[in-house]
Amino acid sequence: MKRKLDSKGKEYWRSQNQLANDPKFVEQLKREFPEGASQLDNSWSRRSFIGMMGASLALAGLASCRRPKEKIVPYVNAPEEITPGVAQHYATAMPWGDDAFGLLVESHEGRPTKIEGNPLHPSGNGAASIWAQAEILQMYDPDRSTKVLNKGGERKWSDFVDFWRERSAGLKESKGKGLAVISEPFASPTIARLKKDLLKTYPEARWVTYEPVSNSNVFQGCNLATGEPARPRYDMSKASVVVSFDCDFLFDEADAVRHARDFTQGRNIETEADNMNRLYVLESRFTSTGAMADHRMRVRSSRMLEYLSALAAYLEDNDINKLMALIGRDDLSSDERTWLKAVAKDLVANKGKSLILVGRQYAPELHALAMRINQALGNFNETVTIVELTDTEISNVESLKGLTRDMSSGVISDVVILGANPVYDAPSDFKLASALAKVTNRIHLGLHENETAARCIWHVPQTHFLEAWSDTRYADGTLSVTQPLIEPLHGGKSAVELLALLATDKDTSGFSLVQESWKEILGTRDFEKNWRRVLHDGVYREKPAKKLRPRKFDHKYLSNSLASLSEAVSGDLELVLYPDAKVYDGRYANNGWLQELPDQTTKLTWDNAALMSPATAEKLGIENEDVVEVSTSFSSITIAAWTVPGMADGTIAVSLGYGREFGRIASGTGANAYKLLTTETGMIVPNVTVNRTGRKYALANVQDHGSMEGRPIIRESSLEGYRAHPEFARDMVHHPPLKSLWKEHSYEEGYQWGMAIDLNSCIGCNACTIACQSENNIPVIGREEVSMGREMHWIRVDRYFNGGVDDPAMVHQPVACQHCENAPCEQVCPVAATVHDSEGLNTMVYNRCIGTRYCANNCPYKVRRFNFFAYTGEYAETLKMAQNPDVTVRSRGVMEKCTYCLQRINRAKISAKNEGRTVKDGEIVTACQQTCPTQAIVFGNINDPESQVSKVKQRNRNYEMLSELNIKPRTSYLAKLRNPNPELVTTPVEHDEDHG
Amino acid sequence: MLAGGGAFSAIIVVFIIWYYFSPSYTDAGYMPDQPVKYSHKLHAGDLGIDCRYCHTSVEEAASARVPPTQTCMNCHTILGTDNEKLLPVRESYATGQPIEWVRIHNIPDYAYFDHSAHINAGVGCQSCHGDIHQMDVVRQVEPLSMEWCLTCHRDPAPHIRPLDQVTNMNWTPGKDHDEYVRRFMEEHDISAPITDCSGCHR
Repeated sequence: MKRKLDSKGKEYWRSQNQLANDPKFVEQLKREFPEGASQLDNSWSRRSFIGMMGASLALAGLASCRRPKEKIVPYVNAPEEITPGVAQHYATAMPWGDDAFGLLVESHEGRPTKIEGNPLHPSGNGAASIWAQAEILQMYDPDRSTKVLNKGGERKWSDFVDFWRERSAGLKESKGKGLAVISEPFASPTIARLKKDLLKTYPEARWVTYEPVSNSNVFQGCNLATGEPARPRYDMSKASVVVSFDCDFLFDEADAVRHARDFTQGRNIETEADNMNRLYVLESRFTSTGAMADHRMRVRSSRMLEYLSALAAYLEDNDINKLMALIGRDDLSSDERTWLKAVAKDLVANKGKSLILVGRQYAPELHALAMRINQALGNFNETVTIVELTDTEISNVESLKGLTRDMSSGVISDVVILGANPVYDAPSDFKLASALAKVTNRIHLGLHENETAARCIWHVPQTHFLEAWSDTRYADGTLSVTQPLIEPLHGGKSAVELLALLATDKDTSGFSLVQESWKEILGTRDFEKNWRRVLHDGVYREKPAKKLRPRKFDHKYLSNSLASLSEAVSGDLELVLYPDAKVYDGRYANNGWLQELPDQTTKLTWDNAALMSPATAEKLGIENEDVVEVSTSFSSITIAAWTVPGMADGTIAVSLGYGREFGRIASGTGANAYKLLTTETGMIVPNVTVNRTGRKYALANVQDHGSMEGRPIIRESSLEGYRAHPEFARDMVHHPPLKSLWKEHSYEEGYQWGMAIDLNSCIGCNACTIACQSENNIPVIGREEVSMGREMHWIRVDRYFNGGVDDPAMVHQPVACQHCENAPCEQVCPVAATVHDSEGLNTMVYNRCIGTRYCANNCPYKVRRFNFFAYTGEYAETLKMAQNPDVTVRSRGVMEKCTYCLQRINRAKISAKNEGRTVKDGEIVTACQQTCPTQAIVFGNINDPESQVSKVKQRNRNYEMLSELNIKPRTSYLAKLRNPNPELVTTPVEHDEDHG
Repeated sequence: MLAGGGAFSAIIVVFIIWYYFSPSYTDAGYMPDQPVKYSHKLHAGDLGIDCRYCHTSVEEAASARVPPTQTCMNCHTILGTDNEKLLPVRESYATGQPIEWVRIHNIPDYAYFDHSAHINAGVGCQSCHGDIHQMDVVRQVEPLSMEWCLTCHRDPAPHIRPLDQVTNMNWTPGKDHDEYVRRFMEEHDISAPITDCSGCHR
């Protein structure tokens, strides 16, 4: 840790272990797999396994030689639109809190297998987040709840209907007094209509909406600006300067997928003559957005207001200055002032083309102030608009607090929980579980028998959104029907259906309920035709969401409340709670794909950890994997510690969503940070203490896996540097003329596939990894296997730091098989299981592979993955349904790796050939490319000079990783650029203190 | 003597195992019983029904598809309504329970065959399925081994016919066939079908 940067060759580093040349890192570098990884596990040696095999073979004898009888089961009445073996795509929409994602779902004979973004839907323009994509596994989750339960005993849906009808008579008499509904936020015409119906039937009933991670602070900030809760919408494509105050707008905030696309459009540099937007980030953690920053300042969350108000003051806008005078508190250092002044100057120079954002964990007043600044900068109706919330119910933690109070005082007799899981994720000072116990009738609708289900009298299994009818309204007003792709796997009811029963006592189908709403939207004339069009397109633009004008800000009120906020002090250490980069608020805790996905900053899998900067860890005497007790004034949790370079000192960050009490995957991962969430503090908890317990916990961290040390893997420059030296990326490596040992093949005819990845666009969001996992049937292997370095992802996103350990920059680089023309893996395979094809693909022939793993040893990119076990062998029936039938499911002992989505290439080639034409450019889209929110990945025929990929490869930022080895990779990268503010660029101080 | 006999039987055992696991051992000749005594000879041969009447997706999809019960009933609501052989078909149609046919032509899961690619390249049904129009009970004629696939992929000419003759079971090449094939292959760019692993394995 003490050792500073070695300026030669080690400019980019993955971990402090690497920086310090720790023996553990060196071993990992040399071995790829740790000692003992080829053993089956601790108790079974390879030898004993072969013994076992012999025994079972003897038992099986020769009876198994003939192939098993396989059946062909055709339809009785074939649906007209299904051709067996040909995938279909249906548009649908996924609810996402108070917002929605438009999706296009691939289905094989009625079995949805893959989720992509709907290109017609403005939420992602075809891209989808990790969470939207992982919903497919969420639906097939074998741990989903399957039965209606009453006090733990199995019942039927009709029993519940009878129960409710009996109960509702009494409730109607009291006009619903004592009835409460706890719902997740929604943006849906049908649910909004049914909510109204419910409150008409039971005028005294209480409706509470709650989600632990929500946009409600942002909407309330708009409330201060416009007089009603409203939604800000940002147009990043128009912004030349963006300043983010701890707002991870590229990854986990509302509309991140769309923002990522728009933001990186401003960084799509074709030549050195192009301009590039500039991003300033102030944050306490290290986020994806922070990684993209041109200037990043580490700031403790509790002090964010100081920086925001200082920036406001430097804008030299009369009105704002008056406002700032009322706040008047500023402990900034002179460096920080210089920094903020330069940012302010940049903003003023870009009036109408700039944008200030504040993270949603901050109080509404900060959002109002940011909006005031945006207004002063002339950004309204340019980069920012404020729109009305229609059919939308937003999270309101205060109303949940009120309800909890009433539940414990016995005022509430009936509570219906629609999909929410408040026992787990409500602020812990509510003591919601004990309050809930005092309610007589507790009804829970949910996907899982989770913490809340366990404390309810009735539990009704909820349908997944791919199984039931509903609808959504996206932020800009676009309406979509959520259409099911499959009959509910386990029966179950949707929120729409349960709500209709509550409101009307009638057991109505979701389909007719949704159609009823849409008859109002589309009108009854030509309804059937219009309805089908909506289902087909997945979008209906009724009218855009109504824009609101910010009224005159109440400066006095705003400054008073800001002043009171700024008085908060946070002590030496503060805790920041945040939605996890994988399991989000906990809803994906039982999702193996997401649990096993390495966090883009920490590269941790399967657990959360108490994150802190190396300096903070040193001060506290904590090392990685020390189990620590994190205590707030309210409660405490024990959790493993992990250091993250570049975090603000004095900040401990713990992600939400772990420490679950249900599910085979969810339980036993991480610690439950909701225990530390209280209404008083929200997500930023002051005055915490962190103490070592003396124990250690092995975290499954992949940051050092697959290292390619000491070579210019990442190439990066400033925009200025690039303009001065446009060929910098290629000129970074000098090597003698390359000569091959073998006679080289010529790849000049036909299709020649290749890929280019623009590092300047990649935000490290991991969407490609999940897309690939879903498309290519990649198994989940579990924490222990990941610790052994056996992770199976065909495309990984490497994360590098650059700079000193305290305040480095972060870069992401997606790495999959590079399809080298002179592939080192092919030269060492003793059985020709990996060979080249005439179109330049490095192919893997599974049934030839005998598992020597020589190829993986010889791969300089370390992208080959080996099935140490039959990971796919014991899949539950529902998981089998999630597999893509166009890709072989691999078994034990077989090497695998990226195929450039060979199944998609072949599909396109065959259909082109059948139609007597050649494959058009853009016809083949690999799974990673398809879902990339920033369009960083381009794939196509490099033999066609007019193809997009050829054009991208001709850009001067193009370079091939390790091309000095003469392996001729088909994947190339475009060097990363940053666009620092010239006023803030100081000649970098060479790190020459601690050499040696 | 005994030792010699033991060694000999050991060699036999080794040979049998070797043969069973080798690619030379194929399923050619496999002729399982089917739940319905459906005769291709009657339907495709004697009655001359085109293959595509039932195998509808053969021209546009990887799978030629086994027809739904409904297809049988197109005729058999009128014909053979009391034929005992058709009982399972009528039952399936009435109950909605599909007929479970036994798969005959079965290639491994890691090999991906596409009917449409072959049909559109002028490869006749006969080339792989044999004289199916003469079979009362369908059997596998060709070995369907990789070697067999590659033989044709390396030299497709003998199996190529005009696109409108692909399903014709009685087609014979004309005198100018060689010239026809040469032109056809040039026009359709199939002079060298894929022999790369990636053509079939993914």
